[in-house]
Amino acid sequence: MAHSTTAGSIEEQYNYDIVKKFAIMALFWGIAGMTAGTYIASELAWPFLNFDIAQITFGRLRPLHTSGVIFGFGGNALFATSYYIVQRTCQTRLWGTGLANFTFWGWNLAITIAGIGYLMGVTQGREYAEPEWYVDLLIAVTWVIYFLIYTMTLLKRNQPHIYVANWFFMSFILAVALLHIFNNLAVPVSFFGIKSYSLFSGAQDAMTQWWYGHNAVGFFLTAAFLGMMYYFVPKQAGRPVYSYRLSIIHFWALSFMYMWVGTHHLHWTAIPDWTSTLAATFSIMLLMPSWGGMINGIMTLSGAWDKLRSDPIMMFLITSLSFYGMSTFEGPMMSLKSVNALSHYTDWTVGHVHSGALGWVAMVTFGSLYHMMPRLWNTTIYSLKLIYVHFFLATIGILLYITALWVSGIGQGLMLRAFDEYGNLAYSFIETVVFMHGPLVARAVAGMFFVSGILVMTYNIWMTVAKRETASDVATAAAKA
Amino acid sequence: MSEIKHEVTKDPITGVETTGHVWDDTLQEFNNPLPAWWLWAFYGTIIFSIIYWIIYPSWPTGLAERGFLTGLSTIEFTSDKGEKVTTHWNTRALLAQEMQNDENELKRQKMVKEVAATPLADVVKDPTKSAFVLAYGKGIFGDYCAACHQSGGQGVIGNFPNLVDDSWLWGGDPADIETTIRKGRKGHMPAHKGTLSDEQITAAANYVLSLSGEKVDPELAAKGKEIFNTKGCSGCHTPAATGMKALGSANLTDKIWTQANVPGADSPEAKIEAVKKIIAGGIDREMPAWESRLSNDEIKVLVAYLKLLSQ
Repeated sequence: MAHSTTAGSIEEQYNYDIVKKFAIMALFWGIAGMTAGTYIASELAWPFLNFDIAQITFGRLRPLHTSGVIFGFGGNALFATSYYIVQRTCQTRLWGTGLANFTFWGWNLAITIAGIGYLMGVTQGREYAEPEWYVDLLIAVTWVIYFLIYTMTLLKRNQPHIYVANWFFMSFILAVALLHIFNNLAVPVSFFGIKSYSLFSGAQDAMTQWWYGHNAVGFFLTAAFLGMMYYFVPKQAGRPVYSYRLSIIHFWALSFMYMWVGTHHLHWTAIPDWTSTLAATFSIMLLMPSWGGMINGIMTLSGAWDKLRSDPIMMFLITSLSFYGMSTFEGPMMSLKSVNALSHYTDWTVGHVHSGALGWVAMVTFGSLYHMMPRLWNTTIYSLKLIYVHFFLATIGILLYITALWVSGIGQGLMLRAFDEYGNLAYSFIETVVFMHGPLVARAVAGMFFVSGILVMTYNIWMTVAKRETASDVATAAAKA
Repeated sequence: MSEIKHEVTKDPITGVETTGHVWDDTLQEFNNPLPAWWLWAFYGTIIFSIIYWIIYPSWPTGLAERGFLTGLSTIEFTSDKGEKVTTHWNTRALLAQEMQNDENELKRQKMVKEVAATPLADVVKDPTKSAFVLAYGKGIFGDYCAACHQSGGQGVIGNFPNLVDDSWLWGGDPADIETTIRKGRKGHMPAHKGTLSDEQITAAANYVLSLSGEKVDPELAAKGKEIFNTKGCSGCHTPAATGMKALGSANLTDKIWTQANVPGADSPEAKIEAVKKIIAGGIDREMPAWESRLSNDEIKVLVAYLKLLSQ
């Protein structure tokens, strides 16, 4: 790529500065969020790690972990890659340089303020929407500007068609705006007070929250990362996307189906039974639209399968699609009421989320950043060997993680529904907790594997940028010759 | 920018045609059809869903009697008035039905009825009933009591009494234990650091430890006895220091300690310090009332469970 242009003109043609900033912050939040996750996983395995300090207990650190990895790591990675992709596939410079910088500062400031708040106990108590109203407002403004920048850049494209990756990013931006605004409709207690109360109550509040919660998975962690996948997989493979028709059908099916399924988080609770049915069936119908993305990604490699042996970046991307396929199969199964009766409230759910979050979201991001970051600095990666090391650390970590929580979650689920010879429940809750200790230790160790992986990556990227041939190096070499 | 744009080309490896679009120099798409297995599987999930909607409550519609399609599946159960009820599938009816028909639940209810109808002293002696009580009680105890008293009932010195040693602050008769569970208990001992000097507290601690045969300074213990009998201690703990059930005051003459961590002290001085801490600081603790959270049957089983545990 960029074979016919010099570094200088690329910098003029595209706004790479904003992409670099977001990419670096993705790594920063990745380390912070994953370290927080590993720490709270360790607290569950070894509770003394609470040290009786309120700010570092599970309840305070957990939202820091989830916001850190979803919105910090994932969000910054999406801003970086979407700004990169929209420029390259429209062959035009990003619209609104100053506004793009505003999205950078607005987004990262929002996460920072929210994160400090969590440690102090400030939260709305809505999962993945914990920030209080003033942070929500900042996010809303940032997001509207993001939408504006993206739309304006698409409008001034130098290409007749809009590439599939951009459809996914647009649906992500629109859906997240909708979800964020409606789920955070709240009334602050006072003008200068930090506390607010939701506009909804009871079952409606719960359903609004999980409409938001599951679509955060659907549009933030799925649609947007599919956009990432649709650019970097064919680019890295050097092969065309497998099927244009499949990309259209699965895009619309996915966008339509996801909006219905959030209520499967509330099976067997005080919601109307018919809402449970619809959520379960739409989850089942979502299976094939989800797999459409996996098929299109993996089959893009046909004609270049050898790259799975020789290219560690390709290994990241294809492994991520395999985990995507696995967790989008597991999800619909768990959304069936009978399976959910066993899995709900156990670690199986946590394991399922991480097979998506670590296996799909993080792996596709790692692969994409390894492809993109050297190009941003107009250089090549410092060490391919270290990418292999990262790949194996991450893969071992994920497999250990998922397996440990299958044992813990399914084991606890079976214990809670076991009967003794007199028809009593055979186990008290605390006995299931004792049983879970072993798997929880394994899970914490798995987290350590994964964090070591991103540390190796950060070192590799650092060295790539630090050791690159700068323009003055090139000039010196030319002068010597 | 060397690629030819907007012209359908044929891939040399697979022989498949592209759509003719090119982005970013090299990005192209094949015009492959939808994989047949994918399409049929997608249709399959839609058919599955339609069947599901026909069987179970599904779409909301103003035309339906209850505001939504209730589905073909029905549930039968017996109402509180003893009438047979047949209704569309719903989770509340499902619960009622399972509580009436589930094999394990029926077995359990039969045992609960038998235990409820048998005097407690006989329950404890009967091998089947006491085995049931141990199994059922373990679950209740594990869910409601173990958080404080620990899963084995051994308690935590300084906070939560041991329930397996058959020494009871508030009485060990089944009726006493039942009252403790139903109403809860408030344990209070006043702090003496304002009314007694440090020397006096040391002397009293020496006396208290001497009562259970610990090695102490006899001279200080004699002074302590004087304090014990004149400064209020004997008022609650009785002059013989054996405690009073009505107040929950501890028997100081046995080797059981629920507040001062004497068993955990490794030297005579540490033992005295442990007792001094309690005399100086007093005690304030509370066990919550469970009457509103546990059923009568559960409370009876729990009492029997505790009696069996402390035997």
